[in-house]
Amino acid sequence: MEGSANSDAPGTGRSATDNAARLARLLHRDCTRLLELYSERESFPSPHVPGGDRLVSLGPCPEPPTPGQQVGHVRSALRRCMELLECLIQREVEEMGEELAGEYESLRKAVRDRLGHLVHSTGALLGDEEGGCPPPPQIQCDEGQDEVEGSGSFAVKLWTYRVLLELIHWTESASHTLHVFHTETQQQQQQQIL
Amino acid sequence: MQGWVILALLLSLGVLHSRGQNGPSELAVPHSLTLQPDLPAQTLSLTWQSDSSLFDIEIFHTELMNVVLNETVAVTAGPVTGQRGWTWRSPSPLECTSHSVQIRARNQQSVSQWSPLQTIPGSDIPEKSESYMYPQDKVVPVGSNMTFCCIVKEKYNFKEIMYKGQTMNATRLSRRAYAITVTNQPASDNTGTNVVCCSPMFTLTGAVVFVGYPPGDEGLVCETRDLASAECSWKKGRDTHLRRKINRTNYTLNGRDCLEANEGKTWMCNWKVWEENWTLVARNPLGTVRLTDSAQLADRVHLLAPANVTAVEVEAWNATLKWSWPVAAYKKLEMICQLKLIGHELSSTRNYSGTGLSSVMLEDLWPDVDYTVTVRCGSKHAFWKSGDESAPYSIHTKMDRPDALDVWLWMDSSNTGRVFWKPLSERESHGALVGYKVSQSSAEEDMWTPVSLPPERLNYPIILNNSSDITVAVAAQNPAGLSQPSAVTTPAYRADSQLSVSELLGTHGTFELSWQPNANASRGYVVEWVPTGCRGLCPVNWEKVPESDRSFTVKPDSLEGGVRYTVSVYVLSAGAASLLQRWQGYSQEMIPAQSVVELSVNQTGSDVLLSWKASAMEHQRGFIRGYTIYLANAARLDLVANISDPEVRSYRVKGLPLSSYKFIVKAYTSAGEDMGLTVAIKMEIETAEMLFVGILVPLAAMFCCLILISICCYKKREWVKKAFYPEIPGPKVPGDWSSPQGPLDVKPSPHSLVHIVESPEWDFSKKGLVPVPEEEEEFENDNIEVDTDSDEPALLRYYNHVVGDGSHSNHVSDSSGSSTASGGSTQTEVTYTGIQSPSSSQGVCDGGGYRPQMQSAADPAEPQGEFEADFQDDSLNTGYKPQCSWQLDSPEAENLSGSLGSPTSVTSSQFLLPESSEEKPQSSNTWFHSFLSGKS
Repeated sequence: MEGSANSDAPGTGRSATDNAARLARLLHRDCTRLLELYSERESFPSPHVPGGDRLVSLGPCPEPPTPGQQVGHVRSALRRCMELLECLIQREVEEMGEELAGEYESLRKAVRDRLGHLVHSTGALLGDEEGGCPPPPQIQCDEGQDEVEGSGSFAVKLWTYRVLLELIHWTESASHTLHVFHTETQQQQQQQIL
Repeated sequence: MQGWVILALLLSLGVLHSRGQNGPSELAVPHSLTLQPDLPAQTLSLTWQSDSSLFDIEIFHTELMNVVLNETVAVTAGPVTGQRGWTWRSPSPLECTSHSVQIRARNQQSVSQWSPLQTIPGSDIPEKSESYMYPQDKVVPVGSNMTFCCIVKEKYNFKEIMYKGQTMNATRLSRRAYAITVTNQPASDNTGTNVVCCSPMFTLTGAVVFVGYPPGDEGLVCETRDLASAECSWKKGRDTHLRRKINRTNYTLNGRDCLEANEGKTWMCNWKVWEENWTLVARNPLGTVRLTDSAQLADRVHLLAPANVTAVEVEAWNATLKWSWPVAAYKKLEMICQLKLIGHELSSTRNYSGTGLSSVMLEDLWPDVDYTVTVRCGSKHAFWKSGDESAPYSIHTKMDRPDALDVWLWMDSSNTGRVFWKPLSERESHGALVGYKVSQSSAEEDMWTPVSLPPERLNYPIILNNSSDITVAVAAQNPAGLSQPSAVTTPAYRADSQLSVSELLGTHGTFELSWQPNANASRGYVVEWVPTGCRGLCPVNWEKVPESDRSFTVKPDSLEGGVRYTVSVYVLSAGAASLLQRWQGYSQEMIPAQSVVELSVNQTGSDVLLSWKASAMEHQRGFIRGYTIYLANAARLDLVANISDPEVRSYRVKGLPLSSYKFIVKAYTSAGEDMGLTVAIKMEIETAEMLFVGILVPLAAMFCCLILISICCYKKREWVKKAFYPEIPGPKVPGDWSSPQGPLDVKPSPHSLVHIVESPEWDFSKKGLVPVPEEEEEFENDNIEVDTDSDEPALLRYYNHVVGDGSHSNHVSDSSGSSTASGGSTQTEVTYTGIQSPSSSQGVCDGGGYRPQMQSAADPAEPQGEFEADFQDDSLNTGYKPQCSWQLDSPEAENLSGSLGSPTSVTSSQFLLPESSEEKPQSSNTWFHSFLSGKS
């Protein structure tokens, strides 16, 4: 896994890890904006957040993870987030159709595309190895109904809100982890050159 | 759960206790009370058994025992079961909290015991510890009122309930349940209106309410496009604001779902078979709309657009168009088709009809024109509406030979002229012109000589070599061929001077002409208008007028204001055109562009003659109606004359005083005056008058004055004599002084001045007036003054102004010692220099100079010289003594010896007269004195 990070050819400009870190930062901003748009649309009181546990949580790692393992860890969470976002879009389209085409809907699609790209690029960094931490359980959209409190529309809205919060959390985490990973990779490359 | 059971037992005990207090009753207690809640409808149905028909019903919020209903109702028993039933609609959702019900029978004032409490649990019972809000996802019409309740999770605190982001007033229903009531709800946004229940830290729960309208669709219309199936459409009504799929309006047509309409994409529903009656049902959670339509298939034919429109044959003046139909059944349909032709400035709509029409011939097209054609058809019988329009199809018609030209021959002299022709319009040229062919022949030479001209040429010069007329033929040429030649024969040239040209007045920028009919006008008339005086390539306009017409109006677009036109009417016959009538006029008169020219002014005595010439015709810009003459006076113009005859070009302004004048002459037309031309003149006296007035009159006046003064002086001569020339006693001197005295002409030597010198060692023989050579002046002391007024400083002439008895002596003491006096006639100047008064200086000439007659001899203040002392002895009895030093002191004494010893007085009038008289002219003293004294 460490070796896969060395795929960044030194001196070829921006590396793959750097690109992934930048994409994670961009995605974090997009997710933050997406939540803002959703809160505005639904007139949610901003200081109030829905309670409850995290929708995406990782199991404890058997031993302290290396930076590469941390990237794999975050990638697993991003994949769950991707599944949650797909469920979210599917539910909204089922309920409202595809008539609505505002900024929220556009950004929602952009986040989905970029999230997929980030999952793919981090996978390329890791060589499709998840690392030593157990991946979170896969999410099914049908099961998501049980996650929400009750079956009303408001419960779906709260669940959507929590999904967006989860996206913000894990994209921020990915941004940080990829930055650390990128820094260490560069240091290792410099040591090898010396 | 345990707590709820305990609460129910306590309530039951309480009821039993109250029964015991009421005592025995005659009415039976209702029994078998059961409660049946309908949660979505928020209703609670009560059923019980009783023989009574009037009942008191009480409903409580169980936990706080708040009475929410206390009502007496009359209820009849069911015919089959004998049960009595009553339904209560709760203002709040029944899940909000537990409700308890009791009932008793009533008969007027007597009542039975209350029945045992029956309770339906709410969602706030301890067994349900989570947060809840009710109602969920309710769909209500705009303007309705609703109550929402929030059940707070166990161990959480309630903070607020927000409706659409706004905090509402909440009412507590139970330990965990709170409710708000919203009135007159507005329409929801896309995803519904959120009602959120919050704890101080979290969003606990919430609900969504969908507020909207029932369907408002209208106007169902069904038609057929293929003569078999049906296509029904309608107009969507107002927005229902219900956008969730499950809340959208659902459409069915004759009981069949309209899938596309239900997707919200169209408001149309198709069915493969035509049915004469159609019913559309539009339904949403808030209401239902039912629309119907009924018609025969033949009455609702809406044809599709023709396909594959093509032109199979295109000529210059017509074209054949074909198309096909996408539906085979159309071939048997009697239809009417509309073809829309759009060309350059040529648009038209043409209708054709036939069975299964698929081909038409378009006639009356124009050559060499691009047309765009569209076709649409409809059923001819029971026309419902025009079908869809075909795609535009373009055709271009072929070219054809041009139309014949409109030709005219304009003669500008007896043997020169120019043939003109009008350009052909697009409709007339039938294709782009490539040029013109001009041919001419004379009667003598029966031979045409053709000339080719480019398409931009519109004229050709003609020269008549001999007196015979020539005929010119012009033809236009395009790729399709030559037009029919247009021939014209040279008309006879008639100069304006040979005719009586009438004045023509324009009307609103046009010329309205009329003429007497002419029998020879077999081919009508030609009206020609040309700018007057134009030579060579002139803008010649003409218009041919039918024989029957007697009038013509020249349109303003070919006329220019302020330009004089010569308008001629020619008679057209088999031969050359002949002139019938001619005018000259302006379509619109303007003020002259240039004023008069050659304006001159001449003075004749006190009159002024103004003359001018008219400006050139091209500058007149209108018929000159006259002239106005102004006199420019400061900032205004004074009208002097208005000459209404334009032929008069001079004017005499009479009786002007001597001064400078500025005249402005303006020409005017019916449009007004021009700016005018200015001429200025300064009036002067003529020579004879100037001599008379300037010289003779002042001279005469002067002489008259002199004569008057002389007469006056003569009359008053005694007084004048006393006033100005008092008698001076004659000197008494020894010897013979009685001889007549003559003037003493003392002529000092040239370049000498009389200089009085004071010197201690002055010698008597040196005292007196001393002629000083001029060169010595500048070396003399300050006491010596020079007669600066004298033109002849070297010449000292002394005249005894008053001879004989006219001597003066009393004013000697007043004379200034430094005074300089000039006296003389036009021939003489007398200058005394350095003669000082005794009081102001040591008497330079005290002894030898002039001495006043009555001077005191013993004045101690005055220095006395030897000469003075000696002289006093001689003058004790005499008073006045003549000066005695001339002979002694003068360096030229010898030359003047002839005059020495003469008794002539040497008194000077300057010293004898008062000081004020010093400035009086002395020139005529001699003759004046004689005059006063009566001597000649």
